[in-house]
Amino acid sequence: MRMLVRSASRIVVLAMACCLPAAAWAGGSGFGDDDDNADEGGPSYFGFVRDSSGATVPDAKVTVSLQNRISIVTRTDALGTYKVPGFAKDIDPEDVKVSCDKDGYKQIRVVRRSSPNPDPKIPIETECTLQR
Amino acid sequence: MRKFVLLVIAVASFAMLASSERGAAENQFGDANAQPAPFNPQMAAMMSMLIQPRHAKLGLAGATDNWPLASYMLKELRQGFVITARAVPRWKGLPVPDLFDAAVDRPLKLIEAAVKLQYKAQFDDAYGKLTEGCNACHATTEHPYVVIKVPDASAFPNQDFQPKR
Repeated sequence: MRMLVRSASRIVVLAMACCLPAAAWAGGSGFGDDDDNADEGGPSYFGFVRDSSGATVPDAKVTVSLQNRISIVTRTDALGTYKVPGFAKDIDPEDVKVSCDKDGYKQIRVVRRSSPNPDPKIPIETECTLQR
Repeated sequence: MRKFVLLVIAVASFAMLASSERGAAENQFGDANAQPAPFNPQMAAMMSMLIQPRHAKLGLAGATDNWPLASYMLKELRQGFVITARAVPRWKGLPVPDLFDAAVDRPLKLIEAAVKLQYKAQFDDAYGKLTEGCNACHATTEHPYVVIKVPDASAFPNQDFQPKR
């Protein structure tokens, strides 16, 4: 009887080993080229920094602040864009303010271009305009 | 004996579960009997179909002073950006028309001027800036590993890039 049980145990292990990959594959996994790898936090913050002519401003300092409690400082890239990761999921994007700065410029306008979206994959877009 | 019966039941249950899941998703590529779905290429496919080959052909045309072809490929490339931005106006929430504008508008205008003047040095410079713009955009959109370069060979063996004399 003990041998029978042992043999059956082996069968169980073998069956699981054979079936698991098929089961996992059948469950499917995304293979779209535009898959998102966003983590579980709140939405990220993205935008352009432009000058008053509309041209983008690379290497501008951008500060993303949560009610003056936490600030993330970054710089715009070659395209004049910045992106910072989101805060916690429960943070209201309305409480997050963006400002920009660059030597020789002053900030004249900050415009939120997209409304806060509950989908954490959609960044909150805020454009900041500087003037010489 | 009871243990044995439990094990047999477990094996049978697991096998049934696995086979039912396999049945639910018979083929990862879809169902041969399904209605044809509308073709809806997304950003990566649009880049591979409409942008990368046209960028290459524009470079190859400019490299051989084939200005009529360069002019044509420039229009095609610009149109490729327009089609892509209209088809995918936001990609992962990012504004595609604005990204294209920031990345390639100025270099495309510089190339246009160079092609009109048939001025090779300016074309080379502007084409380099266009290529830099592509890579800057890839970096902004978290694809820095997609590195575009000035073509050093043709990927189109069935097309002659030399100007017609």
